[in-house]
Amino acid sequence: MPLSPSILSVLSEDLLVRVYGFLDPPCRKKWRLVSKEFHRVDSLSRTSIRILRVEFLPALLSNYPNLSSLDLSVCPKLDDDVVLRLASHGAVSIKSLNLSRATALRARGLETLARLCRGLERVDVSHCWGFGDREAAALSVAAGLREVRMDKCLSLSDVGLARIVLGCSNLSKISLKWCMEISDLGIDLLCKKCKDLRSLDVSYLKITNDSIRSIALLPKLEVLEMVNCPLVDDDGLQYLENGCPSLQEIDVTRCERVSLSGVVSIVRGHPDLQHLKAISLSFLHNIKALKHLKTLWIDGARVSDSSLLTLSSSCRSLTDIGVSKCVGVTDIGVVGLARNCINLKTLNLACCGFVTDAAISAVAQSCRNLETLKLESCHMITEKGLQSLGCYSKDLQELDLTDCYGVNDRGLEYISKCSNLLRLKLGLCTNISDKGMFHIGSKCSKLLELDLYRCGGFGDDGLAAISRGCKSLNRLIISYCGELTDAGVEQTRQLEHLSHLELRGLKNITGAGLAAVACGCKKLDYLDLKKCENIDDSGFWALAYFARNLRQINLCYCSVSDTALCMLMSNLSRVQDVDLVNLNRVTVEGSEFALRACCNRLKKLKLFAPLRFLLSSELLEMLHARGCRIRWD
Amino acid sequence: MEPEDDLCQNNWGGSSSSSSSKRREQVCFTSQHKWEDASILDYEMGMEEEPAFQENSNNNNGGQVNVDFLQGVRAQAWDPRTMLSNLSFMEEKIHELQDLVHLMVARNGQLQGRQEQLVAQQQQLITTDLTSIIIQLISTAGSLLPSVKHHNMSTAPGPFTGSALFPYPREANNLASQTLNNNTCEFDLPKPIVVEEEHEMKDEDDVEEGENLLPGSYEILQLEKEEILAPHTHFCTICGKGFKRDANLRMHMRGHGDEYKTPAALAKPNKEAVPGSEPMLIKRYSCPFPGCKRNKDHKKFQPLKTILCVKNHYKRTHCDKSFTCSRCHTKKFSVIADLKTHEKHCGKNKWLCSCGTTFSRKDKLFGHIALFQGHTPAIPLEETKPSAQKGSSACENSNNNNTGMVGFNLGSATNAIEEVAQPGFMDGKIRFEDSFSPLSFDTCNFGGFHEFPRPMFDDSESSFQMLISSACGFSPRNGGESVSNTSL
Repeated sequence: MPLSPSILSVLSEDLLVRVYGFLDPPCRKKWRLVSKEFHRVDSLSRTSIRILRVEFLPALLSNYPNLSSLDLSVCPKLDDDVVLRLASHGAVSIKSLNLSRATALRARGLETLARLCRGLERVDVSHCWGFGDREAAALSVAAGLREVRMDKCLSLSDVGLARIVLGCSNLSKISLKWCMEISDLGIDLLCKKCKDLRSLDVSYLKITNDSIRSIALLPKLEVLEMVNCPLVDDDGLQYLENGCPSLQEIDVTRCERVSLSGVVSIVRGHPDLQHLKAISLSFLHNIKALKHLKTLWIDGARVSDSSLLTLSSSCRSLTDIGVSKCVGVTDIGVVGLARNCINLKTLNLACCGFVTDAAISAVAQSCRNLETLKLESCHMITEKGLQSLGCYSKDLQELDLTDCYGVNDRGLEYISKCSNLLRLKLGLCTNISDKGMFHIGSKCSKLLELDLYRCGGFGDDGLAAISRGCKSLNRLIISYCGELTDAGVEQTRQLEHLSHLELRGLKNITGAGLAAVACGCKKLDYLDLKKCENIDDSGFWALAYFARNLRQINLCYCSVSDTALCMLMSNLSRVQDVDLVNLNRVTVEGSEFALRACCNRLKKLKLFAPLRFLLSSELLEMLHARGCRIRWD
Repeated sequence: MEPEDDLCQNNWGGSSSSSSSKRREQVCFTSQHKWEDASILDYEMGMEEEPAFQENSNNNNGGQVNVDFLQGVRAQAWDPRTMLSNLSFMEEKIHELQDLVHLMVARNGQLQGRQEQLVAQQQQLITTDLTSIIIQLISTAGSLLPSVKHHNMSTAPGPFTGSALFPYPREANNLASQTLNNNTCEFDLPKPIVVEEEHEMKDEDDVEEGENLLPGSYEILQLEKEEILAPHTHFCTICGKGFKRDANLRMHMRGHGDEYKTPAALAKPNKEAVPGSEPMLIKRYSCPFPGCKRNKDHKKFQPLKTILCVKNHYKRTHCDKSFTCSRCHTKKFSVIADLKTHEKHCGKNKWLCSCGTTFSRKDKLFGHIALFQGHTPAIPLEETKPSAQKGSSACENSNNNNTGMVGFNLGSATNAIEEVAQPGFMDGKIRFEDSFSPLSFDTCNFGGFHEFPRPMFDDSESSFQMLISSACGFSPRNGGESVSNTSL
């Protein structure tokens, strides 16, 4: 649409910036293509960026001088050399840096980065499994760090943690999930030195009550995550009763030794607790003291209806409640809950087999703000319950009906009235057919995620309807939907935003179908082709040619040939995670060549176990040096 | 007991501190008359270690004492014949000594006012002989002693008051010294094995209890520097051979004749406390080093428990550290046992702090880090060789530097902490902090160390850590390898 120059001349740069501020990301993309002026506004106003390819990094950094948040988590080939080259561009004003899964990066590069970004406050190095003490020491150069995520830095020990703790004393948030080497000593030092800590995640660590005692001394701690700490018991939690005065959120799920009394002591000490996640609580009456409780997850607890009633009558500000796998929950309890907690936004009733339509109707009628409803394996749910959902829950964004075989086409028709639905899970709902799909496709245009795992009842026409209607879909799971053929799958090429596609076990699709998908879905990032045995090389060639953004691919049991595999691996310049098990037509040499072609960008690899001894050691060493993790299957 | 005896006692203690040459003359003079009572005198000398005995020993009537002795001895089962032979042997020895002293006196009469040195030498000679005789007598008396002790203890004025042993004012002491110096003369001999504490001190200066001992509830002994450092403290009276332990001496004595083979001769001289008897005064020791906290003149005096403590304390604190560890060539010790302990663990201390201190246990390192600002744990390479020769030479170089010394001092400080009781620990801590403030790190000159090859710790951020690395015995070659690894 041609704009008259007069309009543009009226708009000053300030105004443009303000207008720009109201746009959502896809529109901003178009905005910067309008004119040089607009582009300039874009490059000056943009503060966060997620970089897909390391080649663009220097150019982008110079193009966007005001960036404060840089996400390199999906960027392949990010290693020390790249970072060292970056350093020549001078200091960057980045405050937040996401280096998750940057496994090829090592201490030297990390230190350069930490020095380069002087104002660094947040850094995420989670899932960099090779990271250890030296990397932590490098990171500690950034003295201004406030938030650190180090999930699954497997080699990180107390020494490394101590370096960070001593280097960055202003830490307010740290996540040490799965850092299995961390012990009480490290946690103790952390708690002694970082008094400003507000959020701490020690999930899965082998820490004991001593750590909890240290943690209890943190004056400002608000969030404490300690999922699956097998050595912590009730005595440890008792320290928290009188400690951590600002505690608002605690997660003690799957702590085997934590029982009733431990959680009671937390509850007693913290009446202002807002979020409580615990498991296997056979009581609820103690929780009723928590007037301000907003979140309560008690998955797997033995909850009776009466206790649920007393709970809900006292904790009326609850917005998020999870009672999944609670055997005693029936309609009476859920109805009472719905009546009392009308502000409920999230309700998880997964595996509560006795819940029926009546309860769902009550929830839909009372809780008009409901956004998320999880009803997985609630077998007694039928279209009647879904009808009231469709009528009343206009804000519903996420609905999980996995394994609810009471759901049929009529039910989907009612659901489709929830026009704001973003995520819909219908896995294992075998009673739905093309008709139901038509309803969804025609009404739920905002849908982002659709899970149709093993929904054998619908076919190509249904998928075509979805593809036509739900244009913003970015995640589609149609694994094991046996009716689907090329004709249906080809339709998904209309889904421009599709990034995650699972086609597992679709025996009827061939190279043509895959070629259409690869050609249409330019943003495809994750593709699961396991057991798609009839796809021939033409499909893989197309994939290699078009799907340039593919990051993760599963080719197990595919009949891909040596050359096609080599082509794929060398052309897919962003590929980082590959599953290559049971490829009948691929030889050892083929695998070797294919892996050599992509070894500098791989981060995760699944291979046929005997290949461990057949592939060249040079290749394996190279992969290891680049931080690639190999699972031998 | 008569008050006169008490006076004697007082004089004895009071005069021991002020030994003038005039008094020494008297000593020699009186000894002429008194040698027939030599055995009693011997006895007195022995009593020096247990002050309670002194009263009895000061009794002029030596024979009386002997009678008491025999009675006491008879009360218990003993062999009079052995005793007799022992006594006669001692008598013989005493006569020998007597002759010697006679000789001296004769010469002394001519050479009055001669150099003090000679006099001192002579006196020392006599003392040593006397000492050995005393020891023999005590071992001979064997089981008799406690009963005598008991007797004396009961008559002594309240042992738990500050001036328990010397309740009389100084004037009385002086008077006594004039009138009764005949008996006390021997005790003016310089430097017996254990020198009596000057008890005037006790009256005014209260002794702080390290182990909750009431002041005055124990007796303070102070050895001289030479005695502390002397390799041997027990000498054979017959052949002069020196021994570190009395037990060894007694074993040795067996070779000199059958009389040393009796159970009484071989028994531990001090240990025969009769169960029901009143407890002896506890002995505590003072360090002769002026200004030391273990010195009795110190305001917050903390006594040392045993002679061994004194020896170790003196060597560790006031002597050069002459034993160097053969593994790390860095740590030095003054007590050889410390060196041996260190060498057992040297190289196994894998927990390193940026300040250069090593710890064998992780929790110790973390405690250290939590305590001191600016200290961080150092990260060694995976393939560290505990004591590479190259590294050790590098660290020798660095020893000339400030930082090298820092590491050294630190080691000694921690040593002190280990050996010494609570107050010593406090001392160490203070010193420690002073010398390890970040400031002092800055003042160290690192300039020279920039030329060092790449460190084995990957801490390139500060030259200080680089230095530490070189000082801790890892070869630079390792560092080089790691660099190439990481650049892959």
